[in-house]
Parts: sequence; C-alpha cells; structure tokens
Amino acid sequence: MSTATTETVDSQSDVAVLEEEKKQGRFASLWLQHYDLVILPGIIVVLLLALLLYIGTRDLDTIEQRVLAPDNLASLLGQHLWLAALSTILVLVIAVPLGILLSRRAARRVQGPVLAIGGFAQALPPFGVLLLMAFAFNFGVTTAVIGLTLAALLPVLRNTVIGLQQVDQSLIEAARGMGMSSRQTLFRVEVPLAVPVIVAGLRVALVLNVGTATLASYIGAGGLGELVQQALRLNRINVLLVAGAIIATVALLIDWLAGVAERIVVTRSG
Amino acid sequence: MSDTADQTTSVPEPGAGQTDTIVLEGVEKIYPGSTQPAVSQLDMRIPKGEIVMLIGPSGCGKTTTLKMINRLIEPTAGRILLNDKDVTHVNGDLLRREIGYVIQQGGLFPHFSIADNIGVVPKMLGWDKQRIRERADELLHLVGLEPSTFRDRYPRQLSGGQQQRVGVARALAADPPVMLMDEPFGAIDPITRDRLQDEFLEIQRTVGKTIAFVTHDLQEAVKLGDKIAVFATGKLEQYDEPETILTRPANDFVSDFVGGGAAVRRLSLLDLARLELHPIETDERAVGNQNGTPVAEVDGSGKPVSWRHLPGAEASGTPLVTVPLSGTVYDAVDVMLDGSASLVAVVDEEGRAAGVLHWNDLVGGLRTRKGDA
Repeated sequence: MSTATTETVDSQSDVAVLEEEKKQGRFASLWLQHYDLVILPGIIVVLLLALLLYIGTRDLDTIEQRVLAPDNLASLLGQHLWLAALSTILVLVIAVPLGILLSRRAARRVQGPVLAIGGFAQALPPFGVLLLMAFAFNFGVTTAVIGLTLAALLPVLRNTVIGLQQVDQSLIEAARGMGMSSRQTLFRVEVPLAVPVIVAGLRVALVLNVGTATLASYIGAGGLGELVQQALRLNRINVLLVAGAIIATVALLIDWLAGVAERIVVTRSG
Repeated sequence: MSDTADQTTSVPEPGAGQTDTIVLEGVEKIYPGSTQPAVSQLDMRIPKGEIVMLIGPSGCGKTTTLKMINRLIEPTAGRILLNDKDVTHVNGDLLRREIGYVIQQGGLFPHFSIADNIGVVPKMLGWDKQRIRERADELLHLVGLEPSTFRDRYPRQLSGGQQQRVGVARALAADPPVMLMDEPFGAIDPITRDRLQDEFLEIQRTVGKTIAFVTHDLQEAVKLGDKIAVFATGKLEQYDEPETILTRPANDFVSDFVGGGAAVRRLSLLDLARLELHPIETDERAVGNQNGTPVAEVDGSGKPVSWRHLPGAEASGTPLVTVPLSGTVYDAVDVMLDGSASLVAVVDEEGRAAGVLHWNDLVGGLRTRKGDA
C-alpha cells in the first residue's frame, strides 16, 4: 500500500526488473531459482559410479552374474515401478475425490471420523497389512497394489481436506458473489488453490509406495524386494549391496521427480 | 425518502416508470438456530444511480442486508425487487452475474492474472475472448491502472490499493446496473483509502451505478453516500441524506452512533461556495477607511499574500492563509488550525480573494446565501 507517487515508481522499477530478467535469459533465471534441484541427482550419480567401480573390481561368480544381469534388474525395476505407480494412481483417484467430498458442507460432520480412521490405517505397519491381506485374499500383484493403496491413502486424503480448508473464505465468497455456482467455485477456485497442498500429499504417498513396494516381493508380487530376497537366500553380499543401492536410488530419484513436479505446480498456481 | 413514501407497494405494472432500482419489502432474515432475527421487517428503496451507505455497529444486520440483495444470504421472508423485477426466487447464480460485487481487499483470485480476474463474469456470460480482453483493458484504464503494465500480472504483485481498484474493475466488468460493496476500503491505509474514495466517486460520476455500500466508517458514509442507512440490531433506524443524519438524528441510537464528532463531521458537508462570506478588500486605498473590512496585500496576479489591515487586531501577527472556494468549511477550519490564524481568505479558481471566513463565524452561526438551502 502506498501513495500515488510511490506506486508509479514501484511499477516503473518492476518493469525495469522484468526487462532485466528477459535480458539475462530464461535459462539463467531458472537456474538461479532452482539450482538446489540439481544437487540430489548429482550426489546419486557419484555414489552409483562409486558402487559400479567397486563391483567392477570384484570377481563375480556365475550366480551373482545371473542375478545382476541387466535384463533381470530391469525387469524387477519395472515391476517395482509398476506397483508404486499403480497404487499411487489409485490413491489419487480415491483420496482426492473423497477429500473433496469430505470438505463439502454436507459432509463436514463425517470428516473427523473418516480422517481418524485414516489415521488408524496409517499407523498400521504396511508389511503387516500386506501379509494379512495376502492370507485373507491371495498372493500376487493385485493384493499388493490394494495394500499399498490403503497404506498411502491418508496423506493425500488429509492434504486434500486441509488444502481445501485453507482456501481463503473471502475468495469463495467473492466467487459466489460474482455468480459462480458452487461447482464452478469448487473447480475454478477451491481445487486450483488447494493443488499445491494436494500435490505435497501425493508426493508423500508416492515415496511411501516406492519404499513399501520393496515388501511386495514377500507376497509374490515381485519388485526390487525380490533382489534382496535372492541375495539373502544365496548369501551373496555383492548382490545385497547392489540391491540396497538400487532401492535407495529409485526412492530418492522418484522423490526428486515428485519434488520437481510439485515445484512446477506451485509455480504455476502462483 | 419522503418522495418515495407514497409510491405503490404492489407489483408494479410492466413498463411502469419506477425510479427505485433496489427495493426491499418486508425483508427478514432469521438464521437457523437463532430466535432473534438478524434483519427484521426491512423496507428500503434505493433510487437509481444513488450510493446508499449501510452503516451500524457489528452485528447490526448491514452486511446481511447487503448479501440478501444478491441472495448470497436467502431472506426468510419478504421480497426483493431489482429494476421492478422480483428476484426473490430466481436462480441466485444467474442473478449474481448481473450484480457487481466488491469485497474487502478486492477478493482477487491469486491464481488468475489481473485480466482473467476482471474477465470472470464476462466469461461466464459467454463473451468472446477478444471482447473480454478489450473490456479488461478499458476497465483497467478507468480505474487508473495502465493495461499494458497490469493486465498480465498476478494479484500478489499489486499493492493493496491497486488490488482494490482491480476489485472495482472486476465488479464493473459486465456493466451491471447494480453494485454491492462490502467494506471495500476497510483494510486500506487511510491515505490510500482517501484517494480510492475520491477515485470511486469520480468513476461513479461516469458510470452512474445504483450502489449499496456497507461500511463501519461514518466519515466514509458521509463522504460517499447520497443517502445513509443506519442499522441497529436488525432494524433500520434512520434512512436519510448524510446532512439530515448528522443534523437531525431520528432517535437516541442514531445520535449516539453519530456521536460527539457529528458537529465537526457536518462541517465537511458545508460547501464554502454556499456560504455568505465576509467581504475582503485588496485595494490599497481601502486602508484608510477603517470600516471593519480586512484588507489583503496581493501579488502581481491578484493572489492575496499577507494582511495589510485587520479590524480590531494587529495585521502583522496574523498569517494570511487561504482555502479554495470549492472546498468545505471543514477544509477552512483545517487551514486555520494549521496556520494558527483566526480568519481565512477564501480564494476562487484563479486564486483571487473572494471573501473571508472568521473563526467566530463557526460558533456564531454560518449564514448560507439567499436562495440556497
């Protein structure tokens, strides 16, 4: 808030700043804003290179060679990512609409109980859930995906509800006051403004799922956990080392990608 | 309101020339779970092209009343007519698209650019992109913001005052005949608020909307309002022109509400041009006649610069202060207090002396010119 003269001065200097940014080029300003995003992949690449060098100096027996063959690794990685992706998409499809429903006026009363149940589900150890579900239903990918989905539902549900709650009431009133229907207000004002918070919840769910998917191999759903099991069964320390490194790398990279996506969304929605 | 008191309260004939744009008839609002009505049996008429200020203490029902006009709050009983049309039961969303709405701090959508914010209602009304764009530029211009600088910005890049201007522009977007304003300048610093009020009046002179305006600031109500409606706990206590509210409060509540400052506030309603001023001499030869007329020394262009002679006082001790004829008595008092002068020279547009106002006139009774109210 300022008086007439300072306002004009402000706008002039703003224009100057904008022109300056254009001169510097988009790349430079992007780098300045987001250079921190480059640090994590850098560290990961260095550590992976170190591991590869170490493995390269070892004499691998035929069993180790077979387990660590690129084909085998790629197929397990594929299964792993499929499990994580599918369960996260299910979480998105279930938790976001549910969260939106819970934040509607008519459903405000059940919001507390539902979130409490969600919190309870969150407290259950995912491994236990997976095993119990496998015995209750059957072993395999479907059960694993359902288990992962349940375990990661809450962060997204809670963030959707909170994200919608924290939308400034006066904006909703302004929207209604201008003649937006409640549906238009929801999809043009409330949800877009809640997106950063919802995306943060999705990121948590995704990372959770990538980690928990390691346990899916115990109920026969494959994934990188398979590598760990093989290493333990065959008592091959080199394989275990590589398995651990790959699992950690995948988790970190997925989190990083989600972080980049989150930043893009937040920048877009102002 | 005396001129509308005898008007028909039945459904007007189609095409009947009625001058009231907003009509509330027996409007009542009782919130669920409450026995006390928030607004009870309210009858009110807002004539076309006028600004009516709704004022009162918190919880008096002024905001509820405003929001019932566009049915953001559904009245429990009564009828609301806009431009002779009963809108009590029409589709609220469609109704609100035809009514401008401004709230505190503008209520701009942070994820929309300024142009998109202004285009919200036109877009809902199905205008084409080109027309929406042109309208946004036109309105930005109207509220004093350079379109090329501001249209692609986001609200957070604007100051509070600028945001509020965009808020007004957005409400004007589809050129609605009626505007509702809910304490639009409430959260703005006093200096900016004063300027926004001036600009708002300027804009209103061009657009001539019928406006209901909620405020808690009596100063603002007096400055902006063609009429003021004073509310107390759901009841309309007095609905009249600002001057009448200040000079003849209808009851104890209104006089309490108007408060001790009423006499001073009233000064800002008195235009100097309407007063009978004391004569002033600028002719040097007039010094000798000592007839009680103050004599001022003027510069080359006829502007008074100092007192040469003042009756009953030494001229050298009193500074010469001036106030434009277009100002109000409030301005004159301000100038006198500021300059420690017991009289002020009122000057016309060219800066030439038109008369004198004495401090004593304020307590001795101000005389308005013959023929003026």
